[in-house]
Amino acid sequence: MVRAVLRAGAWQAVVGVSGVAVVAGGCAAAFPAAATMLFPICFALLAAAAAFTLDEPASLVVDVTPTTPARRTGIRAVALLAPLAGGALVMLAAAVRGLALPWGPTGLALVGNVLLGFAAACVVRTRTGEPGAAVGTAVVLVLMAPSLVPQVARWVRTFPAPGADGPSSDHVWWIVLTVCVVAIAISIGGRGLPRWMSIIP
Amino acid sequence: MTATLAPARPAAAAGRATFAALAARETRRFARNPVFLFAVAIIVAAFWVGPRAGGTKDTGFNSVTTMIAIFLGGFGMIATFGLTRSMRASEPVVGVTPVTLPARTAALCAVAIVPFACGCLTLLAFVHFHPVGGPAYGAFSPPARMAVLVGQIVVPALGGPLLGVALGRWVRFPGAAFVLCLLLWAWVSVVTILSESHPDSAPAVVLRLFAPFAFFTHTRNAGGVTAWHGPPWFFLGWQLALCAIAVLVALLRGAEGPVRARIIRALAIAGAAALILLVLAGAGGFTHAVTT
Repeated sequence: MVRAVLRAGAWQAVVGVSGVAVVAGGCAAAFPAAATMLFPICFALLAAAAAFTLDEPASLVVDVTPTTPARRTGIRAVALLAPLAGGALVMLAAAVRGLALPWGPTGLALVGNVLLGFAAACVVRTRTGEPGAAVGTAVVLVLMAPSLVPQVARWVRTFPAPGADGPSSDHVWWIVLTVCVVAIAISIGGRGLPRWMSIIP
Repeated sequence: MTATLAPARPAAAAGRATFAALAARETRRFARNPVFLFAVAIIVAAFWVGPRAGGTKDTGFNSVTTMIAIFLGGFGMIATFGLTRSMRASEPVVGVTPVTLPARTAALCAVAIVPFACGCLTLLAFVHFHPVGGPAYGAFSPPARMAVLVGQIVVPALGGPLLGVALGRWVRFPGAAFVLCLLLWAWVSVVTILSESHPDSAPAVVLRLFAPFAFFTHTRNAGGVTAWHGPPWFFLGWQLALCAIAVLVALLRGAEGPVRARIIRALAIAGAAALILLVLAGAGGFTHAVTT
């Protein structure tokens, strides 16, 4: 059963987007002057990759099988290893190149980004079988907002910039992690049939 | 000859009426798209705050034009990509209507008029806050400064949505739009950094201009503005050629017979024009970076 659930995953999307993220992160390691822009792009792409892990084209059939949503989600969570491994690879490349990143906060940001994408997918998966595209887009827009809008960056920082003034990204990611864990627990605990399937016309 | 052409006129008029109805319908859908509305809201909010919209004395105006290009162009691309893909599920039904796929694609391309108009309005607001005569534009002449602004604000607002339609017609992956948006952003960041470190290098100039968006100035921390190599007018032409290519590539999907041949011919011409304009942009302008 585990193999069947894993085989049905959107691996091409997860691995493909993670691969693109690794390329962007690799450029950040290669061009340290652009790292402050490229690392957030890389991590946002990893979050988007995590959003595709729960895509289930056959959800009409799968959602009515006796397997619980918690078990299906748990098995599919294995796919998160791809974006996490990609992020770890990028951090390793940055360390080899001698970039002076704060490694603890950077690791926390990586886990937070990936978990944010996954949690959002869990929540939206209760309503649709393939939440990846919509959630991925939304997560990217939210995560890139501080890089795009200077007013937002004054209040919220999603990537730890070395030696920068302003708010710390750690507070943001600890809050996000807590909210994500709660959201995942609620969505997989109470998930039955999609809402539209339970409506009798 | 009269007998042959006479029936064609009502058919052409009916075709135009169908296209206008389709374009109006798609434009309404686009104008209500939440991603596009979010982008417009952010830009309006940023300008509401006024001169503090990001363009400080330290960063010049590039950060503001980047924000506008990404919101109108990048988010516009995501919106039109979603709009184009949303019709795939109903393709079995829509496909049997008398309207061809290229005609429907052309109607989708017509929605780019909305972000284009937003781009024009944003340009006016931008010029209000950052007058063209200001020192932030470096050594460029006033017409060249306007070309820089049109290329950084108006044309991305037009080209992004057109690219989104082409992407929606040809690419199956549902996350392609945001991935491409981020990749273009990463590319522009890298080539800009290369230009900052090697301002007089010819390959760095070509790489910087080989993008749908490029910077022409760099505000130094120590003071002064460096105007980079490359005439903005030719770059503007390159951008417009890229827009034409995006439209033609989108129209190519589902085109058959003589229409397909005409599109391929036009694509070849647009490609050649883009190449010539890129070469002219890379070869012209200042002989070296000028700091004022």
